[in-house]
Amino acid sequence: MSATTRHGAAVAGLVLVSALAACGTTHENAPGAASAGAPPARACQGTGGKYTIGMSQANLSEPYRVRMDDDIRRAAAGVGQFTVHFADAAQDNAKQVEQVNTFLTQNIDLLIISPNEATPLTAVVHKAYAQGIPVLVLDRKVDGEGYTSFIGADNVDIGRQAGRFFADTLLPHGGKVVELRGLAGSTPAKERSAGFDQGIAGHGITVAGTADADWLRDKGQQQADALLKAHPDAQALFSANDPMAEGARIAAQNAGRADLPITGIDGLPVPEGGIKAVEAGRLSATFVYPTGGAEAIAAAKKLLLDCRQVPKQQTLPTRLVTRADAAQVYTDLNRS
Amino acid sequence: MTARGVLAVVFRLQSVFGLVIVFAAAIVFSPRRGGDLVFLDSQNLFNVVRAISEIGIIAVGMTLVILVGGIDLSVGSVVGLASVGAAELLTSGWGLVPGVLTILAVGLVFGVVQGIASARFRIQAFIVTLAGMQIARGLARMWSGGEGVSITYGDGPGQAPVPFSLLGERTFGGVVPIPALIFAAIAALAVLLLRSSAFARHVYAIGGNEKAAVLSGVPVTRVKILVFGLCGLLAAVAGIVHAGQLNFGGPNDGTGYELNAIAAVVIGGTSLTGGRGSVSGTVAGALLVGVLDNILQLNDIDSNVQLIVVGVVIVLAAGVQRLRPAIA
Repeated sequence: MSATTRHGAAVAGLVLVSALAACGTTHENAPGAASAGAPPARACQGTGGKYTIGMSQANLSEPYRVRMDDDIRRAAAGVGQFTVHFADAAQDNAKQVEQVNTFLTQNIDLLIISPNEATPLTAVVHKAYAQGIPVLVLDRKVDGEGYTSFIGADNVDIGRQAGRFFADTLLPHGGKVVELRGLAGSTPAKERSAGFDQGIAGHGITVAGTADADWLRDKGQQQADALLKAHPDAQALFSANDPMAEGARIAAQNAGRADLPITGIDGLPVPEGGIKAVEAGRLSATFVYPTGGAEAIAAAKKLLLDCRQVPKQQTLPTRLVTRADAAQVYTDLNRS
Repeated sequence: MTARGVLAVVFRLQSVFGLVIVFAAAIVFSPRRGGDLVFLDSQNLFNVVRAISEIGIIAVGMTLVILVGGIDLSVGSVVGLASVGAAELLTSGWGLVPGVLTILAVGLVFGVVQGIASARFRIQAFIVTLAGMQIARGLARMWSGGEGVSITYGDGPGQAPVPFSLLGERTFGGVVPIPALIFAAIAALAVLLLRSSAFARHVYAIGGNEKAAVLSGVPVTRVKILVFGLCGLLAAVAGIVHAGQLNFGGPNDGTGYELNAIAAVVIGGTSLTGGRGSVSGTVAGALLVGVLDNILQLNDIDSNVQLIVVGVVIVLAAGVQRLRPAIA
């Protein structure tokens, strides 16, 4: 047991040493977290300065988020004054809080964050904002007003556009559709579905069946398989994202319905993304849900280099992509 | 002391040496700001300690379970269950003390049931706690209706007792995060408990050779059930701390925490076959991972590379353990 004792003493000693070392460099106390008022504005150095930007990403397991980081990386490469540090929270709220805190000790000049969930990240985002660091929130929101600007597209609107496309183009005389939803309980899943219902309302289209496929391609295939067996008279399928739609295409082929119209959402301009799927004819349409990466760097330029304000809310436009314009949209979105 | 004796000490303290090396490397590779090392900034160090406190609390319980030759895969899900439970109870009019005690009881009972299944009914701990992992996650999602539960503080209906917010404000005296204090207290208690108590002798005896322990009169079943109970209890503590830190109970939170806790235990030098290891090693192991994560992020190392580095460290730690029986 004496070994354990010595062992413990060593650790205790080390912790003590690090704590003492820490005390030596203490020069600031933790400021109060959320402050409702305007933060103390830092003096803007303009184009002559050098700026470090921290980008806190909720996870990199979704292609959409990988693309968001890539968009930021590409846009920032064009601004000589910017260095961007990236952190991946791997869907863990606590880890994302820690990573933002680490950015703060690094003294970043601007924070870009796409929060894993709103409430758990609110306090640390407010803390950054209260320290005078401009905070750009991408795609998913935080609670309250303690940030500089929210940049994102409108999920209800993109669902509505998809619904209108069914009403105008796919089923102009009405009919039955089946629907694949995203992860149950997640805000975008609810909002895209609600928007779709608004879009088809009053056009004689009924949703014969729905299933949750958690945004995943393999689950999309399974669920579409079951939906098409239960509703063999369905004339089209609406999926809340492109990967589930791709899964549904396989299910439709297996069910002998290779010509079933299927639409997705996201429209990532990458080889395995929805726009290429539309171009190849696997999907009837997709709707581009922009990542906001390029817009975030544009906002950072305004704030840091031009010493100007940016709007509190920037709603990004979404757009329909059909086979007719898929190739063109793909090229446009990859031109930086 | 002979060379052999020195080596024996080195192996016994491997995680402490590992931590010293990583800590020194972090100082060397720390970015500088105005002449100061960012890594040694007090806020940064306390952020590291705060960040590992939840995993550390779980890992203390995991160490006990692994010392008796078991494993507990349910702890991450129990964190989710406890965080949701704490958020639900505290925002529905429960007092701070009854709410927290109830959640602690949930964790304890969950662990004890798994202990009974594994020790008395002789189902492998891996299987029992794999099932427990699914069950706790299911319970967490049912309790919250599948959605996260936000916590706001105050006296009104739907608001949690204000003192609970101390966990989230995170500092004691302006610098020391409360979760880190809780972790330190739990680790200290566990170190004391494992130093010389009869319980500690039983734990090591069971892990060393269960048959021999039975023959020498150790109440094996009872000790094992207690150990699993403690592990569940500590996972619930971590879940409560988690909810307090984030002002949020998430049914999917804590996913993968069991593996991070096992990593801390393994890096800490505790043998996965049981019988050998220490809580202080685990604490050093958890700190080591925390410091490593921190210095990699401070240097803007790609997150995928971070995963690889931590993986390599786990293998190295286990490799050092394999060398040990031959020498010490």
